Amino acid sequence: MSDLNFDYALLIPEFILVGTAILIIMADLFRKELGLGRLVLPAIAALGTIAAGAASLAYIDDVDDFANVIAIDNYTTFFRVLFTVVLLVVVVSGYEYVERNIRHTGEFYALLLLSTVGAIYMAGARELLTAYISIELLSFSLYVAVSLAKTNPRSAEAGLKYVLLGGVASAMLLYGMSLIYGTAGSTQYSEIAAAFSGGTSEYGFALLLGLVLLIAGLGFKASAVPFHMWTPDAYEGAPLPITAYLSATSKAATFALLLRIFAGPLLPVIDQWQWMMATIAVMTMVGGNLIALQQTNIKRLLAYSSIGQVGYMLMAITTISDASASALLVHVAGYLITNLAVFSAVIAFHNRTGKEELDDFAGLAETNPYLAMVLTAGMFSLAGMPLLAGFVTKFILFQAAASGGYLWLATVAVIASTISLYYYLQVIRRMYLLEPARGESGRWRLSPAGYIATGTLTAGVFLVGIYAGPLFTVADRAARVLALS
Amino acid sequence: MDMEHVWLLPAIPVVIFAVIGLFGRLLPRGGDWLAILGMGAVTVLAALAIVDFQGDNIAVWSEEWMKISDGSRVVELIEISTYVDSITVVMLTAVTIVTLMVMVYSVGYMAGDSRYGWYFALLSFFAAAMLTLVVSGNLLMLYLAWEGVGLASYLLIGFWWEKQSAAEAAKKAFITTRIGDVGLLIGIILLWRGSGSFDIQEIIHHAESGGFDQTYLTITMLFLFAGAVGKSAQFPLHVWLPDAMEGPTPVSALIHAATMVVAGVYLVARMLPVFDTVLIARDVVLYTGLITAVMAASMALVTSDIKRVLAYSTVSQLGFMFVALGVGAVTAAMFHLLTHAFFKSLLFLGSGSVIHATEEQEVEQLGGLRRKMPATTITFTIGAIALAGIVPLAGFWSKDEILVAAQEGAPAIAYITLAATAVLTAVYSTRLVLLTFWGEPKNRSVHEHAHESPPVMVIPLLILTALAVVSGFVALDGVGEALGFAGGIGEVVYEGAHGHAYALNETVAIGATIASLFGIGLGFIYWWGCAARAEAARNWAPELHALLVNRYYIDHLYQATIDRVILGLSGVVGWFDRRVINETGVDGSAQGLGYFGLRLKFLQTGRIPNYALAMAVGVIAIALVAFGTN
Repeated sequence: MSDLNFDYALLIPEFILVGTAILIIMADLFRKELGLGRLVLPAIAALGTIAAGAASLAYIDDVDDFANVIAIDNYTTFFRVLFTVVLLVVVVSGYEYVERNIRHTGEFYALLLLSTVGAIYMAGARELLTAYISIELLSFSLYVAVSLAKTNPRSAEAGLKYVLLGGVASAMLLYGMSLIYGTAGSTQYSEIAAAFSGGTSEYGFALLLGLVLLIAGLGFKASAVPFHMWTPDAYEGAPLPITAYLSATSKAATFALLLRIFAGPLLPVIDQWQWMMATIAVMTMVGGNLIALQQTNIKRLLAYSSIGQVGYMLMAITTISDASASALLVHVAGYLITNLAVFSAVIAFHNRTGKEELDDFAGLAETNPYLAMVLTAGMFSLAGMPLLAGFVTKFILFQAAASGGYLWLATVAVIASTISLYYYLQVIRRMYLLEPARGESGRWRLSPAGYIATGTLTAGVFLVGIYAGPLFTVADRAARVLALS
Repeated sequence: MDMEHVWLLPAIPVVIFAVIGLFGRLLPRGGDWLAILGMGAVTVLAALAIVDFQGDNIAVWSEEWMKISDGSRVVELIEISTYVDSITVVMLTAVTIVTLMVMVYSVGYMAGDSRYGWYFALLSFFAAAMLTLVVSGNLLMLYLAWEGVGLASYLLIGFWWEKQSAAEAAKKAFITTRIGDVGLLIGIILLWRGSGSFDIQEIIHHAESGGFDQTYLTITMLFLFAGAVGKSAQFPLHVWLPDAMEGPTPVSALIHAATMVVAGVYLVARMLPVFDTVLIARDVVLYTGLITAVMAASMALVTSDIKRVLAYSTVSQLGFMFVALGVGAVTAAMFHLLTHAFFKSLLFLGSGSVIHATEEQEVEQLGGLRRKMPATTITFTIGAIALAGIVPLAGFWSKDEILVAAQEGAPAIAYITLAATAVLTAVYSTRLVLLTFWGEPKNRSVHEHAHESPPVMVIPLLILTALAVVSGFVALDGVGEALGFAGGIGEVVYEGAHGHAYALNETVAIGATIASLFGIGLGFIYWWGCAARAEAARNWAPELHALLVNRYYIDHLYQATIDRVILGLSGVVGWFDRRVINETGVDGSAQGLGYFGLRLKFLQTGRIPNYALAMAVGVIAIALVAFGTN
């Protein structure tokens, strides 16, 4: 095996993240002895994240791999940068919340750092077992993180549900992977692709079963209907910053993996999986958006909203092509920015009021017009209104599906998207048309970190909506690695 | 400043708009000084750019805005681009100087207004949109700016929205111009469909090399012209401009005389090479301008509101410019645009000075103000003489250019109509001056508290007066050369096939001067002293007077159409919308969806075995799909 490339320099960003995680755990242990202030841990986490993100930029246009298991290319770089940015946002907008609601803050930051490593390797993996281990690194960190609010029984319940159901999903995933290994004779993506290109008729049943289980397992991670049921409970029970992180990195990493696999090794057998993918895409778009109509809690609402968004992204996998791959990356980036803007605002709201029901947002336009504006921009962007990120990215995504010959799927997506406007408007209606609750009509301000996080992200929502050119270019370059055509 | 950096010109006021709009309340004096300083900087930069411009260098700058690619192939590339040629230079001169003058003047005129800061923010916003429109190199950006100036116009006409009439006028202006704007948008889309580009130069090139189908292009250019008709208040969409006088007077001077309303002229001038390839469309431009010119001038004769007279005059003068464009004389149109911007904004600001002093704008109530307001009287009179076209003031030179062009390039009817309109112009100019400043005061109490305006208002008047006197001279070759442009206005404004160096056509010049003097004489005969002859004339032909006072019944016709046809039709559509679409379709489906969502919600029991069961069912379901489709 001497021809393998063991150049550890390729993994520097992850070394930085892991090192920062270890440093935080150590610092947390000796916190009292060292007399560390409460800002030290988030500061270390933020600096480590920034360093890792900056280091990632050194690999732009590299075409390399580590030991044949992790690809270092523009695709990986794209997600490295995306995930470090998400992590930074969660740390900055969440540290106040963490300070108040979580006893062991070191664990919080360390787990997030480690899970980000898992997420990056999900995007970078070019071999099934590496992909599986990366998924588990992400998942296990999150199982713990969801139940971190130890004083809140809902948090513990959510963590338990997540870990039990996640175990079922992992088992299916692993079984599916082993069946694919059995039929292809390798776990390397490139070799699987080569094997399947040569015809699959002799393994028909095993391959199909493998694909079913693989899609079910990954569908769970992506919270696709009907494997989504853990999502609202976990979102509701988890500490708010973790919910934000779940909706962002965890989703995006799953799609990074899905796109890499379904546009690579499994592309030759597209006829076998396309209808399955289309079915769950439709179920997810329609189901997520319909159930969201009935929600009364902002976290559950956003959980179902994110399920709906996953449906659109699954549509891009179904209609896989050069254009839809690039569009999916654009949409993932736009969705992350928008969703984080919304969550930063919700976290800031919770920091002040400690509430999270939809009715608690009544009259927010009067008590904090700035925050109401941020939430409105975020909600409209999620619904896909022009001038905002959500419009551009959804437009590109739907257009890619329609021009790829899947007009019916794009039609379903447009209808689902129209339905979604209803529940997004429900939030906006409460903020602008209803009066604030009795005795809560005074104006209030956010913390500086709250202003920085929400302000930057809202500016990002508008920037992508108005001047999306650079994002398109970057996504194009990342998607070109997949060599679809 | 390099021509490549003209994008800075709109960038400065847009930043100032944001600053005053957001933090105006924290700034001393509401931030008016910031707006004026910014506009001053823009004017200086524009002047530097114009000096840098030498008549033959055409500057292009572009930046990618959005690229939609299908993998490696670029499907659609949309750019932000600026394009500066001689037409742009003329527009920049007019826009920057007039905007700056109006801003300074507004310090006096708007003093004490409750939304003083917001007013200056809006003026900055308008300046940004107008400058963007002027320097834009592609139609998409031009359209955005076009809507931007429309929005600014709407907000400023309705600036005193507490007043019912102002709110109504703002709405009318917005809706009427919007009718034209839809045409413009359709025209832009059709041009893009035919040529695959939004870039103006590429479209022109495509048209000149015969890339368009003739019928297609004719229809397209008529749609495009509809936008110009709306914005420049040409017949039949001229009805909004007189009502727009409800806005503050400096706004009327800026937007509804010198800048925004000439955007239509600018658009046609910019696209004229395309119009040249479809001559029917150019004839439409010609006759629209002709009808508008004479019609508006006749209405100005009987209007009693000082600002409305000027509004009709503006509509009429814009008609002159379209006539010039209709015969292909860009030089003449742009030259008249420039001189008109100066003398008409001067007249509006002068009327503003009168209104400021007397709080009265009916000429029937004014009169005899020459002793109380000498500076206003002198400057206003000079503006009126320039408008009437008396040598050597600015209006003479540019109107002469248009008359020459019409005589050479159009049927005789055009020249005769324009000459008649020139007479009418001189008549109503004289009438306005006589009724406002001469004679005896008709309303004592109004006259009692009249006073000259403060220096901050008079100084812009004086500067504009100077420009109204001298700006015509750039037509003369010697002056043009002294300013650094070889060959005078013809070389500056339009080089190439359409250009012609200015040459005084003695016959036309003498004829026009006689027409103007004749008109002024008529004005004196009818309105000097107690205006008894005007009374007699009114009684001599009451039907004609009624026709003019009622604006040819065009507003009535529109109102009747809206009341009978459109409201009737929308009643039917409204019923259908309420009963069928809303109650059955929307509410029905919403309730259906909500119910469905409610049912689905109860699947979410919170129990882990149920969730696991759902996953198992899901696996079986997609397995069935998988095996069913293979």
